[in-house]
Amino acid sequence: MTDSQSRHQSRGFWAEAWARFRRKPLAMAALVFVTLLAAVALLAPAIAGTKPVLCRYKGRIYAPCLGYFDRRLEPTIFAKDRFRGTYPKNLAEKDPDSWAIWPLVFQDPHRAVRENEWPGRPANPAKDEGRPNRINLFGTDQYGVDVFAKMVHGTTIALLVGVVSMGLAGTIGIIVGAVGGYFGGWVDMLTSRVTEIVMCVPTLVLILAVIAIVEKPTIWKTMAIIGATGWTGIARLTRGEFLRLRQSEFVTAARATGAGPVRIMLRHILPNALAPVLVPITFGIASAILTESSLSFLGFGPPPPAASWGSLLNDARSNLSMWWLVVFPGVAIFLTVLAYNLIGEGLQEVTDPRLREARK
Amino acid sequence: MKRIYGLDRPWHEGYLRWLGNVVRGDLGRSFSRKQPVTTLIGERIGPTFLISGTALVLAWLLGVPLGLYASARSGMADERATSLLLYVLYSFPTFVAALFLQIVFSVWLRGTPWELPLFGMSDLPADAGWAAWAVDVARHAILPITCQTYVSLAYDSRFIKANMEEAVRQDYIRTARAKGAGTGRVLFHHAFRNTLIPLVTLLGLSLPGLIGGSVIIEQIFTWPGMGRLFFESIRERDYPTIMGLTLMFSVLTLIGQLLADLLYCLVDPRVSVE
Repeated sequence: MTDSQSRHQSRGFWAEAWARFRRKPLAMAALVFVTLLAAVALLAPAIAGTKPVLCRYKGRIYAPCLGYFDRRLEPTIFAKDRFRGTYPKNLAEKDPDSWAIWPLVFQDPHRAVRENEWPGRPANPAKDEGRPNRINLFGTDQYGVDVFAKMVHGTTIALLVGVVSMGLAGTIGIIVGAVGGYFGGWVDMLTSRVTEIVMCVPTLVLILAVIAIVEKPTIWKTMAIIGATGWTGIARLTRGEFLRLRQSEFVTAARATGAGPVRIMLRHILPNALAPVLVPITFGIASAILTESSLSFLGFGPPPPAASWGSLLNDARSNLSMWWLVVFPGVAIFLTVLAYNLIGEGLQEVTDPRLREARK
Repeated sequence: MKRIYGLDRPWHEGYLRWLGNVVRGDLGRSFSRKQPVTTLIGERIGPTFLISGTALVLAWLLGVPLGLYASARSGMADERATSLLLYVLYSFPTFVAALFLQIVFSVWLRGTPWELPLFGMSDLPADAGWAAWAVDVARHAILPITCQTYVSLAYDSRFIKANMEEAVRQDYIRTARAKGAGTGRVLFHHAFRNTLIPLVTLLGLSLPGLIGGSVIIEQIFTWPGMGRLFFESIRERDYPTIMGLTLMFSVLTLIGQLLADLLYCLVDPRVSVE
């Protein structure tokens, strides 16, 4: 009896949504693209860099490439032995028995590669002569820094901005919306008015105004500001869902069992309200990436040497004949934004029952 | 020095004084330009309006037919292609598009009649003739207007299509079809008129942008408008100008919403100003 029952049990909401999502070629392609970007961000030092991924030096094994994530992760022995960031020659000279696994592309995101730094290879061309070629896949900028390496290392920023700022915005939005929608009355009055006030000010204007006040801008502060201004849409949607769901039977049942308001909101209502709320969060990731790159483009980006895709475009403005400084980062920003928008739209179509009926 | 800028008082007193001056129509004097903020704003409103007004009209003129066309041919191959193209345009960042256009029209087409100027509003001296000046400004304005139009065009037509899809599922559309009204009449007369309310809201929301301009586009093309003024005042830490502009944006947002509310009665007789 129980056996046949479980066999006939219908798929859950999310399994059903996933099955439908998988049938959408564009949305799936976008998902694959974002996953790929995440892989590039994680493996950036192994894709492009001048520090070995793994090397054996004076009898021990090190991973100097971690220094790209954080300076402090680079083993101190190389600083002590005066490597000064130039590994190939120094490794061979100071320990003939050493070996190293190099990144796929020997280029540095922070500086130009010098002549013979990699045996037999010329220095990176500077000024406007660095067209894309076999060595510099996406060309070089005015100072001879490789654009491909910069972009690979900038992927981390692009992805982090989206996820971190929307994580923050999602948290604020869901809390504000949930509290307002669940309690109603004057609480709802208050949260709704606050939401409307924040909504009234154009985002970019607000962000620029805040950045003007903040001392020493960092990428984390930018993310915090984007997150702190981008929660209004999420709050409104969450409020609507909570208003609708708090009247339903399962909430009454939960209340009858003696569950407190926080438990009802988190365990009972939120899982049922999550699908419609995820859609604006996904679109929000796209617009956060767009906002960050426009800020960097306007010159309010992360301080050097960290380079985001937008700051590469800013460099291009002073020299438009270097088309490769515009095309590659521009297309990267565009594809990432497009991918998140496509995922958001796919999510909307598979989780919104009204749109689903329209398909028939 | 401290006394001139009112820094010898606590901040709330300074704010109240600023508020009092605002009521009397005085937004203070710019730190960096030594001019009243109201004069600065007055100088910049015209150029911004030239770009954003033209872009708004163009976007609606093209966007409404496109949206209607897309909902009429919903599901067909040509509609899918158009919708996908609009979607791609919608995700295309303005500043990337602006840079592409700059490369094409000023680097690749240099020396041809198609070359367009990159920066500013006019290169002519002040004593040039009126007609020559107008042509020059128009040539300078083409690229910024294009950039601003395509984004709103993509957004507007998608918005219209989404609303139309909602409307054609209603019962009164089925009734209209059943009584034998043609496709065009059903779409325009029955469905489209019922989607006007969200459209009017959208129009109201675009009012702040119409006067406030786009920071990014005006910055790229060094267009002497409000967006650029805002950007420059942030760079120069010119607080009276920042305050004045932010106040203006907020007031415009409110006015836009009020206007939308008033327009509702015009497009929907069921709504009254009561």
